[in-house]
Amino acid sequence: MEADDIGGGGGGGGEEEFGFSRNYFLAKESGGPGKRSACKVSDIDVADEQELVAAMSDIRPKHEKEIAALRDGYRSLYGRWVFELRCGFGMLFYGFGSKKALLEDFASTALTDYSVVVINGYLPSINMKQVVLGLAQVLCDLLKTKRKTPAASVSKIKEPSVSQSLDELILFLNGPWAEEKDFFICIVVHNIDGPGLRDSDTQQCLARIAACSHARIIASIDHVNAPLLWDKKMVDTQYNWYWHHTPTFEPYKYEGMFFPLILAHGNTTQSAKTATIVLQSLTPNAQSVFRVLAEHQMAHPNEEGMPISSLYSTCRERFLVSSQVTLNSHLTEFKDHELVKMRKNPEGEDCLHIPLPTEALEKLLKDIA
Amino acid sequence: MKMAAAAAASAPPRGEPSSDQEDGDNSLQPFFLLHKAASSSDKSDRKPSRRRIPSSPASPNKPGKSDDDDCSGDHSHEHLRMEAFRHAWSDIETTIKGVLQSIDSGTFEAIYSWISESFSIIRTHVSSGFSEIAQSFPAAVDSVSRRLFTGLVLTKNMELFDDLRTFEELGQFLRSRGCHVANLSSMDFVAKNGIGGCVTSLLRQFLATSVDAPDMLTLSSWYNDQGNNDTPIILIIDDLERCCGSVLSDFILLLSEWVMKIPVILIIGVATTPDRLRSIIQSEALQCLCPFKFNLGTLAERMDAVVEAILVKQSPGFFISHKVAVFMRNHFVNHGGTLSSFIRALKIACVQYFSTEPFSFVLRGLIEEDIQGSKHGLLPKAIYNCASNMSPRERNKMDEEAVQKLVPEIAQLKRLHFLWSIVVLCLYEAGKCDELHLLDLLCEALNPEFYASRVPGSFAQETGHTKASSPNDCFTHQHNFTMKKGGFISRAMRKVRDLAEPHLLSLLKRWERHTADISEIHEKVKELQHMLKFENCQHSMENSKIHGLQSKSNLGRVTKRVNDKAASFLAYLIEKHMQPIECVPIHEIVCFKNVKKLQMALVGDSRRRIQVDLLESHKILSCSCCRNDNILLPSMHDTSIMYSSCQEHGDLINLHDWYQSFKRILLCPNSKKRHKLKQSPVSKKRKFVDNSEKLSEAAIQSRFCRGVTELQITGLLRMQSKRRPDFVQRVAFGL
Repeated sequence: MEADDIGGGGGGGGEEEFGFSRNYFLAKESGGPGKRSACKVSDIDVADEQELVAAMSDIRPKHEKEIAALRDGYRSLYGRWVFELRCGFGMLFYGFGSKKALLEDFASTALTDYSVVVINGYLPSINMKQVVLGLAQVLCDLLKTKRKTPAASVSKIKEPSVSQSLDELILFLNGPWAEEKDFFICIVVHNIDGPGLRDSDTQQCLARIAACSHARIIASIDHVNAPLLWDKKMVDTQYNWYWHHTPTFEPYKYEGMFFPLILAHGNTTQSAKTATIVLQSLTPNAQSVFRVLAEHQMAHPNEEGMPISSLYSTCRERFLVSSQVTLNSHLTEFKDHELVKMRKNPEGEDCLHIPLPTEALEKLLKDIA
Repeated sequence: MKMAAAAAASAPPRGEPSSDQEDGDNSLQPFFLLHKAASSSDKSDRKPSRRRIPSSPASPNKPGKSDDDDCSGDHSHEHLRMEAFRHAWSDIETTIKGVLQSIDSGTFEAIYSWISESFSIIRTHVSSGFSEIAQSFPAAVDSVSRRLFTGLVLTKNMELFDDLRTFEELGQFLRSRGCHVANLSSMDFVAKNGIGGCVTSLLRQFLATSVDAPDMLTLSSWYNDQGNNDTPIILIIDDLERCCGSVLSDFILLLSEWVMKIPVILIIGVATTPDRLRSIIQSEALQCLCPFKFNLGTLAERMDAVVEAILVKQSPGFFISHKVAVFMRNHFVNHGGTLSSFIRALKIACVQYFSTEPFSFVLRGLIEEDIQGSKHGLLPKAIYNCASNMSPRERNKMDEEAVQKLVPEIAQLKRLHFLWSIVVLCLYEAGKCDELHLLDLLCEALNPEFYASRVPGSFAQETGHTKASSPNDCFTHQHNFTMKKGGFISRAMRKVRDLAEPHLLSLLKRWERHTADISEIHEKVKELQHMLKFENCQHSMENSKIHGLQSKSNLGRVTKRVNDKAASFLAYLIEKHMQPIECVPIHEIVCFKNVKKLQMALVGDSRRRIQVDLLESHKILSCSCCRNDNILLPSMHDTSIMYSSCQEHGDLINLHDWYQSFKRILLCPNSKKRHKLKQSPVSKKRKFVDNSEKLSEAAIQSRFCRGVTELQITGLLRMQSKRRPDFVQRVAFGL
């Protein structure tokens, strides 16, 4: 939308939409089945995956000087951004390039007066309860060290604990604990539109946190459809976004870690790495259940997998699960993240199989230990 | 929490750059503590470090940054700016709250009196069956005593969150009248938590502690412990449409069983129509309800009242330009449609004004003060002190003499704005009869072009009277301005001409109220009133003598005459006093004009911008190497090359072809270079050797893979499916 179009998308809307649809149909037409190229990826002489990964780490960055100049330009705006944050807005950064370094630099340079918690939304799975508990504990620590907090109200502060519900923890973040307006913790969320935070429940939870009087959110988005995650209530009253266009052109080093290389044939390394990350974010019990499964698979490499019934009995013996329902909830989590696959053994039983080679499994178990 | 604690322990010391290793560790944790807040004793040590932030000016070619370096020199005024903003915004918030309260107060009173009546009915049932009440278990057995009094508050606004504030205030209002009140939201009525969720929330609000096993018995014993059984329990559910029907039904059934012991009265916010209740709540629960309807003010009423209070009557410490007003109106109509979105837009404008305008924080006091009571002696000094602390560029903007002139200028500006607001309000009062909205009218009244059209070519320095607009002939005044056809001002004026006599009389009364502070105008309005009354009297006397149709037409003609006079008077006011802020001298320093900045901060433009970043990366990076229109150069950002080249494909991109074209671009120098190379074959040869040496196949492939991943992250590309393994799909078509 151009600056002159002060109609806020009202005036030229029809024409713009027409442009969109025309482009869409043109693209459809030009890519019709008859005109599509028949070349195959296999025609490319693809290098070995290890070689690709190694080459990727050696890619010489382009425009280093210009990118540094961009960063310097943004650095001069830090003061303004703090001002906006203190006015009660949530900061939302968008534009091409990883904004991870930018946000962390901003937080560690200009937000030294506030406690800052960073959430890595680009990870495939994030446990919101743990995050909120962590935030509540940071706030609690802050309240205890704060000089102006009256002794009476300090004694009222109940140490946040895992037994409290999500609602109670969010209520704790909302206070009011202090009169002063600048008493809040900053939450930096890298990729608030990332795979680990994309579902509606998590967004609702984040929006409620953002609306708390003792929390401010500084977030980045990269996906073009990210705004569709939020309804009007979230945008106008909870997140209360103040948008900033900050293209950095920096590589998505961490954000891209969990995407398979498009030209790579096998992706075992990738999935082992992804599995480690996913497992690390799960509860210790869930990790132990996975361990039982992995150990069984390593001990019986030729079998189709571990039958669910024997997994259940082993887990019960080790006091890892109390009921089939609990086990099922762990298994659903595993299946959702493709950590396990279902197979049938010759007896027709449902078996669970981890789609990783034995060496990768060993390394994985070592990593989560 | 183990993770956060561990992370906290391993977090690098504040202010020191973290090593790569640590950085890598943190980057793979779901969350970690970056640093703790500097303690208050550290703060004084730290403040200078904040000033150390390099303030290198933004790149001149960077889009949208040209005005961002304006205040790089005034970090020291940050505190004053913040204070000014907070003061101004708290004034605005208080005004909005007051305005909305006054709209709702009637409904609130009606609800309270209904509650009192309902409660006395419940009490009657209780006293007639006291023996049953004494039991510890639910007592209500017959359908009459099981009735649950339910107030349905119709919000007439689909976006119910806009009314959340209203329901909170209703709760406070009822609390102030002695009721026990709990506010429940649709979040408490979700299928996942079942009925336990809402009872827990209820108990949490009344008992102020969390209860392990929520049940109604706890609530009942709490109510009995209160010792004051003369107050009802009010449950406000603000969002009927979003509640889970089955949970709400169960909750209603539960309450109805207990209503004799716990006198509960429900208040439910309904965004659509009361009929919706039937489709959400099960019939069994529906039978327990004894509904009563209440209406809240409409969104249009609220908007008009807020605009009147904030943008017309009171200046919120700053003024908004015509373009900003039009943008805010269009944003409200096209995007927001809620009062909250309008208030948010206003807040962003306020932040931008106070954070960027060089003198905003000094002038606020001046703008808010009374014209007569301004402290003329103190302010110029303050302004000058400020100016002397500023960057040379800013200081040049305003020399000492100009500063001395400021105070009377601002006083004059305020006076003119006040007159302008009176005319706008008079127009609005007239337009109200035609269902005209104040925001529309405001946009037209702020238009400098409209003002410029009134006396062609001579408006700039005009502050005195024009010949055409002397006070003596204001009732026969012929307007000299061009009215927009079908515009809101012309509609309002037409309405004045068409008004029937009683309406005209009440309009004049409202004008009288608005103009009370300016005697010159006030007198004229009174004169009009007298004229209308006098002529009426005269004609009623004549009418008593002459009967029949003729008299009616005569009466009509008389009113018409006064109507014309009122319209002429309005035209006179418009011409003489409706001077938009942008036509007043020195308005630049008190008026917020930057529409583009406001728009970018308010709605962003991520979908288009990310694509533009990629397609025009050289403009943003402002590098000298990639400046070549329509030709993709190997020096360009890889992802930028890939996204530009994929524009040539249809909706499906053949990976092989895409890769080959990417490879070709990386390996082949562009046509210009080729042309130059032709002249020196040696260097050409070397260049090619260099390229092929530098870029092995694996290197190109890894760069291609990274590009695809980055496009995937931005959502501009969808991955290949099993059915079409050789193709990826484009998602965005056009900007």
